[in-house]
Amino acid sequence: MARNRKIDHDELKAALERKLRQTEQAARPARQLGFVHHNVDCIGCRACEIACKDKNGLPPGPRFRRVLPIEGGRFPDVYAYKINMACNHCAEPACLPTCPTGAIWKRGDNGVVDIDSSLCIGCRKCEAACPYGAPQWDPQEWVVKKCNMCIDELEAGRKPYCVMACMMRVLDIGPIEDLWQGRWPTTAVGPGEKPVRQVRHMANPELTGPSIAFVAHRKGRVDER
Amino acid sequence: MPFRFFPSRLRQLFRAALLLGLPFALWQLWQANREGDGSHDLWRATYDPIHFAPAILQARDEDCLVCHREVLLDRVREKSPAGLPAQARRAAYQEVSTYAGEQETFHRRHLVTPLARELMDLRCNTCHVGHEPRDEAPGTSATAIRQGSLRKQVDVESTCLKCHGRLNPEQMGLPGPWPEVKAAFGDSCLSCHASIRSVRHRVNYLKAEAIEAAAAKDSEICHGCHGGRAWYRLSYPYPRHPWPGSESSLPAWAKDRATESEARFLPPPTVDRESRQKP
Ligand code: HEC
Ligand code: HEC
Ligand code: HEC
Ligand code: HEC
Ligand code: HEC
Repeated sequence: MARNRKIDHDELKAALERKLRQTEQAARPARQLGFVHHNVDCIGCRACEIACKDKNGLPPGPRFRRVLPIEGGRFPDVYAYKINMACNHCAEPACLPTCPTGAIWKRGDNGVVDIDSSLCIGCRKCEAACPYGAPQWDPQEWVVKKCNMCIDELEAGRKPYCVMACMMRVLDIGPIEDLWQGRWPTTAVGPGEKPVRQVRHMANPELTGPSIAFVAHRKGRVDER
Repeated sequence: MPFRFFPSRLRQLFRAALLLGLPFALWQLWQANREGDGSHDLWRATYDPIHFAPAILQARDEDCLVCHREVLLDRVREKSPAGLPAQARRAAYQEVSTYAGEQETFHRRHLVTPLARELMDLRCNTCHVGHEPRDEAPGTSATAIRQGSLRKQVDVESTCLKCHGRLNPEQMGLPGPWPEVKAAFGDSCLSCHASIRSVRHRVNYLKAEAIEAAAAKDSEICHGCHGGRAWYRLSYPYPRHPWPGSESSLPAWAKDRATESEARFLPPPTVDRESRQKP
């Protein structure tokens, strides 16, 4: 990283002040983006995971996005489905207030919870505090890194790498309110399907208000049987 | 006929290969077991029964630290990769009277730094109750641990939330959030809590007397675990122990509250016996 580069301390200080104003309190974005995933149609190929690791240049260990295979039941009532989660870009992220250096902030334009790992001192408090396991420890660089919804891609008018890599088109992004209401056109939600905010085993969304929508499996639903 | 010749020759070859190969393979296995590349040991340690219930619940911290020493030894970087010195900045929650020392890691702040030692006695298994490394979600294999939440080894809602949830001013009849109204109550929770809900913190991971003693000097102590470092929007539904002078009728919100702390955190029975023997 910046080991051999000369550090402009004035610029660093100015950047930090700018950043800190954003971090003391989570921004309330005009439009919150979030991921949507179809738990049943996902085939668990993990192309999204690999695309993510590739884009972010991650060594073995840290995985921003994870496909979680859920299996169970007894014959003949067996089931298998996938839950796919990265950072949920929460309304009130738990990671953000724990960060002592201002490396984590929430963007005012699209609600993405962004991180500048070059300001990270490796205290790992965000990692512990996140109820959804999003911040990832990189033991080689001794910093925490996490999903920022490929903010550079978003700014270029494209979608994140994981979404683009999904061959089943069951992973997508969109304005989360519209996704929850079923108003957002996306291949990740089939006709007549209603996305939910929580699935079985996911930590209570009331903790931080995660921006995530799932089309749940019959066995993964928490609101009804 | 070459057809006849080959099978018998092959059989001989086979036998020879077996005779020579089998001991060689066994020797290889033995070697791998003995030295190996370490991966064998890694798997064995990963699946050590100590990571699973019930062993994990009985483990002492020393048992875990044999292998996980780094949890208490690792320190924060001196400088971030961009050159920001670790001690240059403090978060808002570190600008309070109870905060002491330099930036520290998550585990050290809960296990070895002075305030943690004064007020708490957290153990590895207060938070770590076991997880199945093969499983990325709880409950999907025969050996799985059925509690917990996706992607986490530690369940936030049943651990962190107890000390990092919101204070609940409405329920307490406070006119507003604590920082705004505290002047009216002499800046002390004890103005009410000397007598209300006074049976508290009787769990093996807190030092009840030390907490009261510290709080008598600095009211930030109570607030620190009840609203001052609130990472979450929820308040923890604390058990509601009857206290001397409590009314027998329950308020509506307390109808389905427990009246005792979780069994696994109750202090060892010897302490109980002693207190019962006292007149
Ligand atoms: C025999 C050595 C050993 C003992 C004793 C031991 N562990 Fe582990 N533990 C390991 C190994 C090896 C791993 C796997 C590390 C890896 O895959 O990077 C592991 C993994 C873990 C992980 C998950 C870490 C991760 O990155 O996935 C946790 C949490 C953990 N141990 C906690 C404990 C606790 C709590 C105790 C005490 C009750 C304990 N361990 C006792 C060796 C041990
Ligand atoms: C206050 C609760 C708490 C206590 C006490 C605690 N831990 Fe942890 N530990 C966590 C959390 C939270 C994580 C982050 C894992 C996650 O996101 O699921 C963690 C992570 C770990 C990891 C994985 C870290 C890595 O390098 O990947 C190990 C190993 C571990 N703890 C061991 C221990 C040991 C040993 C002790 C006792 C000395 C201990 N913990 C005490 C909450 C705790
Ligand atoms: C029994 C109470 C208790 C539990 C449970 C607990 N904490 Fe804490 N936590 C504290 C106390 C007390 C401090 C203040 C330590 C200090 O200032 O030295 C603290 C401090 C912190 C800090 C700030 C550390 C710093 O550098 O100032 C973070 C972040 C944190 N806790 C996260 C967590 C997470 C995440 C969990 C759950 C895995 C958790 N805590 C569980 C009591 C607790
Ligand atoms: C005006 C008096 C008053 C003050 C001041 C006050 N409380 Fe309370 N508190 C109450 C009452 C009343 C209850 C509810 C008692 C009951 O269970 O019926 C309560 C309940 C609680 C509970 C349990 C909540 C639950 O859900 O079970 C906690 C924890 C608590 N208070 C902490 C604090 C802390 C920390 C402070 C200082 C920052 C504080 N209180 C200041 C009156 C007060
Ligand atoms: C180190 C963190 C910590 C500190 C400091 C602390 N508490 Fe608590 N408090 C807890 C935890 C954890 C519980 C839940 C214990 C349990 O499960 O029984 C709790 C429970 C309570 C309850 C519920 C009591 C009941 O009926 O069981 C009240 C009321 C309360 N605390 C008030 C206070 C007051 C007042 C202070 C200051 C004197 C204070 N706390 C300081 C962590 C803390």
